[in-house]
Amino acid sequence: MNSKMTNRIALSVIIACAAAMAAILVSMLGYILVQGVSSISWHFLTTSASPFLAGGGIKDQLWNSFYVLVITMLLTVPIGVCGGIYLAEYAKPGRLTSFIRTCVEVLASLPSIVVGMFGMLVFVNYFGFKYSVFSGALALTVFNLPVIVRVTEDGFHALSRHQKEGGLALGLTHWHTIKTILLPAAFPSILTGIILSAGRVFGESAALLFTAGLSTPDLDFGNWNPASPNSPLNLFRSAETLSVHIWSVNTGGIMPDVQTIANGSAAVLVICVLLFNLFARMLGKVINQKFSGK
Amino acid sequence: MKIGKMVTDAAPASSSRSKLINEKGFFSRLTDRTSESRGKLLIYGSALLMIVAVTAITLFLTVQGLRSFVVDRLNFWTFITGTEWFPDRAENPSFGAFPFIFGSMAVTFLAALIATPIAIGTAIFMAEIAKKWGAKIMQPVIEILVGIPSVVYGLIGLSIIVPFMRQHFGGTGFNLITGAIVVGIMILPTVASIAADSIRAVPDSLRQASYAIGATKWQTIWRVVIPAAGSSLLTAIILGMSRAFGEALAVQMVIGNVGKIPTSILDPSATLTTIITLSMGHTTTGSLLNDALWSLGLILLLISYVFIVIIRFIGKRGEKR
Amino acid sequence: MIQMEKNIVSFTNNTVTKELPIQIKVENVNIFYGDNHAVKDVNLPIHEKSITALIGPSGCGKSTFLRTINRMNDLIPSARCEGTIGYKDVNILNPKIDVVQLRKEIGMVFQQPNPFPKSISENIQLPLRFAGVRSKKILKEATEDCLKQVGLWDEVKDRLDRSATSLSGGQQQRLCIARALALKPDVILLDEPTSALDPVSSSKIEELLLELKNSYTIIIVTHNMQQAARIADYTAFFYQGELIEFGQTRTLFTNPEKQSTSDYISGRFG
Repeated sequence: MNSKMTNRIALSVIIACAAAMAAILVSMLGYILVQGVSSISWHFLTTSASPFLAGGGIKDQLWNSFYVLVITMLLTVPIGVCGGIYLAEYAKPGRLTSFIRTCVEVLASLPSIVVGMFGMLVFVNYFGFKYSVFSGALALTVFNLPVIVRVTEDGFHALSRHQKEGGLALGLTHWHTIKTILLPAAFPSILTGIILSAGRVFGESAALLFTAGLSTPDLDFGNWNPASPNSPLNLFRSAETLSVHIWSVNTGGIMPDVQTIANGSAAVLVICVLLFNLFARMLGKVINQKFSGK
Repeated sequence: MKIGKMVTDAAPASSSRSKLINEKGFFSRLTDRTSESRGKLLIYGSALLMIVAVTAITLFLTVQGLRSFVVDRLNFWTFITGTEWFPDRAENPSFGAFPFIFGSMAVTFLAALIATPIAIGTAIFMAEIAKKWGAKIMQPVIEILVGIPSVVYGLIGLSIIVPFMRQHFGGTGFNLITGAIVVGIMILPTVASIAADSIRAVPDSLRQASYAIGATKWQTIWRVVIPAAGSSLLTAIILGMSRAFGEALAVQMVIGNVGKIPTSILDPSATLTTIITLSMGHTTTGSLLNDALWSLGLILLLISYVFIVIIRFIGKRGEKR
Repeated sequence: MIQMEKNIVSFTNNTVTKELPIQIKVENVNIFYGDNHAVKDVNLPIHEKSITALIGPSGCGKSTFLRTINRMNDLIPSARCEGTIGYKDVNILNPKIDVVQLRKEIGMVFQQPNPFPKSISENIQLPLRFAGVRSKKILKEATEDCLKQVGLWDEVKDRLDRSATSLSGGQQQRLCIARALALKPDVILLDEPTSALDPVSSSKIEELLLELKNSYTIIIVTHNMQQAARIADYTAFFYQGELIEFGQTRTLFTNPEKQSTSDYISGRFG
């Protein structure tokens, strides 16, 4: 067999691999969307889940997913961005810095169920937050923090050194240079990263199992007082999110239309994640054009 | 910068001089709006929080995970190597975690075995063969797929792969290989995307040198590009494995959850994550089973650390070359 | 070659008639990057309201030296500095120096124009706002004043709200100079300010510097010997981290004391 033949065969194999990849992923997405979209209806999105009867919806779960996401982001973004700024701007090469870097790496690669167990131990039991939106959001913060840190650090590293020198040479303090010049300049890439991470947080399930819980009290969407126990805004009530719902109906659901609910929920979940992605990409493009288009 | 000696210490202090020498106290530095110290406080605090989080997780899981050995007097060695997991047996309950450790390992390696060729092939396709197409269409699609939640992969496994297995290989369809396939598909986009990046990072000059001595495209890829990207490709695979190892719900939905060592890949099985997922909610804090589950969690944590160490080691070796 | 230099440059701009007072006194300055001894034992007076040019082949330490004068080298963790740079009765290298205040008094312009990706007027106003200026009126006046000083006002007065990055390279560089002027510094450091610009923009900047030297002390690092000869009152020649020769530009160019200075300005190396 000469080298030309080998070449041809090998390249065909590679193309076959790529084709297999494309086929698997496209058929998968297609399956979820085709199967699921037919079960999505206005009724499905706006009805509460029913424990045993057919025809339940996912209103509460959908709301919980978004609510947990928002709280998580409120906690993660400030801390994560500050941590990223530390690594990009203040960290001096040394033991402490490399230790912090290791910590970020460890946080990023912890199995989410381990984070969930930690959350159960500390937030749910020790601090007594119970299975709640707040416990869930704290667990997800642990899980999402390293992502935001990295996004911020990368955003800062992508900036030109000249901007920073320009600020410092004008007699700005380092912190002020960061706050008024570097952070605004890095903002678009950080924002894109944040939205992408939001997609991940939105779909996370294992970390929420033991922290946000597997049930939701009867929510009264007319009651927006965060202190009342059945208010959607209450931080200290249990909250089953959409992705946890998919898992729980599949493993323990006894309603007759499990398949429909699971498929519908999965489709909603995937569509939301896709929207986050598309939104992040579009935003990145728009801001990029605005900056370079002058 | 290091100290130089003062030029004119004896000179009378003029107003301009006192402005140049920083004599503000700690408090006024903290209240000054433009001050560096306030910003630093914020930044260093956040960085510190990262350390606190990792330390807390490690510490809490270690303390809680050691309870079964220290408080409940389980034998560490029989816990790790024991193959009998009967926590509910009224007399003489037994806690052998080996089936779960084995299951986790088996799922991880099988998933890597399934995902690696397809993912690396795709990465080569994107980064070497159809560059334009790869960068414009495949890469974004794959990056989007990285973000698809794992329960969705589990659901797919449940509704397509399990029935397929049942039809063609008999049994219930819930088994080890189904779990590995689901996780393998799940890590495909992650591995492919990182691998493509590392292939793109190989400098073009190497490829040109290879073509210049009459190599075919495949020879260039096989003999030049892949060795040059070597350690980062390995990192991609190991990252995928670490994700596969830690995945809980998707595996739990399809693996069958039987706490015995499988005799074939078509046997139902269980992993560290699945047993924790299933049992944790039903136990009370402080019970023997609960403590044993925490020990499993500790094992999970330790093995994740091993993955991190391996990735670091490979990264360092790659840098040295 | 040396004859040609003389023909091109008439030294009309920069013949020093009377010795000006010294503003910055550099004594025994040594700068290290890790183990690399980048600048060796430099002694140099900088005269008030004059232009001092630092010339020399690339890597000779002239930029490093310039960046030490307003402590921009603090940004490089491995940089270390010894000796004294006397300015207003203090040593700039003293670790207790408030570098932020120092940089307000000693401004800097870089090789690559680096306007902030904000509007033209904001670029000028930003340093003032940080310095605590709140009044809109003062900010506006300062903007106009600074832009007029660099001759940019007529070119941009109708589009002060446009992004600074929409300006041409030469305009951007003049904007950066205007920005440095906004804080009314005593000294302006320029690190090869024209090397990224076309000849026409460069000559505009040169004219501008000649005007500015009436109010500011200017130190400029340049690759371009003609530029030094055209505008500088004093010239310092650096070679391999050492200050080889310093003197009035005319003397240094027409009658250098050292052989290597003569070799460099006649183009035999570097």
